[in-house]
Amino acid sequence: MPYRSWVSVEVNGRQHRIELDHRTTLLEVLRDHLDLTGAKRACDRGECGACTVLLDSQPVYACHLLAMQVRGRSVVTIEGLAEQPDFRPVLEAFVANDAGQCGFCTPGFAVAAYAALQRYPTASEVQIRWELVGHLCRCNAYEKIVAAVQEASRRRLGVS
Amino acid sequence: MSADLAVVGTAIPRLGLTDKVQGKARYTADLKRPGMLYGCVLRSPHAHARIVHIDVAEAVRLPGVHAVLTYHDVPAIRLDADLLPLDAIVRFVGDEVAVVAAESETLAGDALRLIRVEYEVLPAVFDAEEALRPDAPTVHPPGNLVGGKALVVERGNVAQSFPEAARVFEGTFRTQIHAPVGMETRAALAEWQGEFLTVWKTSRAVHANDRQTLARVLGIPLAQVRVICTNMGGGFGNKDESRLAVLVALVARQAGRPVRLEYSRTEEFIAGRNRQSSHTHLRIGVRQDGTPTAIAMRSIMNAGAHVASGMQVTRRTGQGALYLYTCPNARFEGLTVYTNRPAGGSFRGLGAPLGHFALEVLIDQAADALGIDPLDYRLQFHVTDAGQPGQRTTPVDQLLPDEPVEGGVPFSSNGLRECILAGAERIGWRQRHQPNGVATGVLRRGLGMALGIYKGGIGREAEAEVRITPAGRVEVHTGNVDVGQGSTTVLAQMAAEALEVPVDLVDMVMADTAVTPPAPITAGSSTTITSGMAVKLAAEDAKRHLLERAATLLQAPAVRLEAGQLVSVEGPSQRLDLAAAVAGLPGDIVGTAQVTSGSTTHLINAFAAHFAEVEVDMQSGRIRVLRYVAAHDSGRIMHPRMAENQVSGGVLQFLAIALREELYVDPHSGVTLNPSLLEHKCTSIVDFPPIEVLFPAPPEPLGPYGAKALGEPPVVPVLAAIANAVANATGVWLHEAPFTPRRVLQAIREQGKS
Repeated sequence: MPYRSWVSVEVNGRQHRIELDHRTTLLEVLRDHLDLTGAKRACDRGECGACTVLLDSQPVYACHLLAMQVRGRSVVTIEGLAEQPDFRPVLEAFVANDAGQCGFCTPGFAVAAYAALQRYPTASEVQIRWELVGHLCRCNAYEKIVAAVQEASRRRLGVS
Repeated sequence: MSADLAVVGTAIPRLGLTDKVQGKARYTADLKRPGMLYGCVLRSPHAHARIVHIDVAEAVRLPGVHAVLTYHDVPAIRLDADLLPLDAIVRFVGDEVAVVAAESETLAGDALRLIRVEYEVLPAVFDAEEALRPDAPTVHPPGNLVGGKALVVERGNVAQSFPEAARVFEGTFRTQIHAPVGMETRAALAEWQGEFLTVWKTSRAVHANDRQTLARVLGIPLAQVRVICTNMGGGFGNKDESRLAVLVALVARQAGRPVRLEYSRTEEFIAGRNRQSSHTHLRIGVRQDGTPTAIAMRSIMNAGAHVASGMQVTRRTGQGALYLYTCPNARFEGLTVYTNRPAGGSFRGLGAPLGHFALEVLIDQAADALGIDPLDYRLQFHVTDAGQPGQRTTPVDQLLPDEPVEGGVPFSSNGLRECILAGAERIGWRQRHQPNGVATGVLRRGLGMALGIYKGGIGREAEAEVRITPAGRVEVHTGNVDVGQGSTTVLAQMAAEALEVPVDLVDMVMADTAVTPPAPITAGSSTTITSGMAVKLAAEDAKRHLLERAATLLQAPAVRLEAGQLVSVEGPSQRLDLAAAVAGLPGDIVGTAQVTSGSTTHLINAFAAHFAEVEVDMQSGRIRVLRYVAAHDSGRIMHPRMAENQVSGGVLQFLAIALREELYVDPHSGVTLNPSLLEHKCTSIVDFPPIEVLFPAPPEPLGPYGAKALGEPPVVPVLAAIANAVANATGVWLHEAPFTPRRVLQAIREQGKS
């Protein structure tokens, strides 16, 4: 029989108590229990990056964590970032550079780009690419994505 | 054609992208309905078997399970000639056997393990040539050759012409299974309200395919079926079959609750309708000076267990050979073959990239043997806007086909020459191209090129409605699905241009059969030219009504539009905004249009010329792409940044397909061996240099605002461009894709070039 428990998770600054099967991943909690569908389930195996969220400010694959593992830690999803003023440069740069086509991988890229620039505000093109190497885009909008992150970097630094 | 356009041709922000970046755009698997259950599919472990007995009693009893369907529980009404909703015979490893609906996906998965199936394993066949033998196991009666005979199209007479050719070149080429790998996996959500069904689905054709099929198979009137696609996470010519929608509708009806079913990534690889492999034999006969006089291609396509659009895939394999070079005699023979491999279907470009691989490599080999620079050979012999020699066969009052065989008909536009010259200059062909195989050392560099010819996007019917609302907004209704190619934006641009209003007044309403007029499947790169023409004409119709209404209200002899306002020609102080024009009317001001795109006098096709520079490591067999230039003729470019993204995206997608992507199906068991993103490596952000994109051609006279197809053309020349660059670098000809290090080393050894 599956084990079930009540689990407390903090997502986008709010506490949630959820009764769930121990096999539930963080991704399932976000999408099925909290209706936060910005993190996508594209592979469910940690191979594509479309489910990326921030765990204590670090980008992680939500599909690769069990809900039980994030008790007492802070999860921020794309929906949370979208409310933050310091995400604006990333949002505006992505739209200005056409950094998405079908858009399915885009939230994952945006979360990772935000985290990369927090860590490396003056990241070079090569650094940007390797920071984002864990994200697949089958539309292959990669060049626009790189240009967007470069512009976001400039916007954040107040450089034109 | 006016060169002064206000909205078309400008790089406005892609509509919907802001929501997509913020995670606010809802895709099918993001949707929930009250009381929704989760669906899961039980799949066959055998490549070919008969279900002797299937026992679902234990699965049904599991708490939280609400419905289980087997082939006993579904209508025996065919979705396609070779496809039932569920069948007593399974024909590939991964074929659907049963569907479960339960309160969570985990529970549904637990239920699958409780279903007991007794199979009678049948002999299976996986190789297309073996499947054609008379003693081969039959995948579908009466036999494994789809349609019972080869597809043959011919212009002139190749049998007579080959013996007269001064030289004949021939070659055999192979490609493997290509998986489309859209980032979004297939999903459908079905909800019944009484006898009324709503299905949200990852669909390219809410009107054309899904709604029609659901009504027919479920036996309910069309008016009782509503199909919606909110956003689509990647089409790439895939996701157009309807079995998923039908099964989810049936299990929802049985459960009495909405059901959402989402394919896992593994299922998407195995059961996602991949482009099947090909084996092509090509002969080109030329005169002493190289002029082509006879071209004959024969392709055997392994369609897998169900054919879907496989016949069209096959037909398109031959189109380059039939039409890219001026030649009075050309023949294509295509055999589409059933095997017990996973079911095939559409993927961007259908057979065109495969056929162009064979054609453009053999053309390079011919030029090499004749001592002619491959650039000069192509400049001299590519098909021109005069079209092919010969006699027109299509009746003069009928629309000409998108994939012609006949001669005697000109193109409306043909930018091959502009593309070749612009691309050659950009890559520096004249300064840098060397004879094949002169490079030395372990790392050898070379330049290669390939051309492409593709459908222009015509031949379908589409409708559109443009409504000017009391709020002063312009609503464009079209049944089209934006699969990520940006049709939402392009169609909005066309509506705004035609109505002479700012594009931010436009709201797009798409892909909901309850509120949008019928549109064809988003396929064949046809949306811009076909739905675009419908939107343009509907907007012009709405404008006529709007101007009349404004003239009445302003009591002016005539009115014109200026920056979204209606202004009397008699005096600019007399003006109205759109809302004021509609106020007082019982409803919206509406314009409509219905079009069948195409021409009775001219062929409409899109063209491309690609140039690649590679470096080949002669010891490891690895190919590094150093530069890639893609020059495209797609008429007037509707949106420069989106168009560049599309071409760059298509080339990057196909570079990994050229160098490493293949789906391995075990030749003994039929098991798909690498159905994961880790084991099937698509292009990543660090693999290739930036793609240099050029649009050197003039507008298309017959397309709306001069547009024609762009979605698929970028992938057509890629395999050949890389192969030809490798040949230039090493003197070695690659005839089998993908060009993995193993195949490159094998070719080096076999052709004595180590």
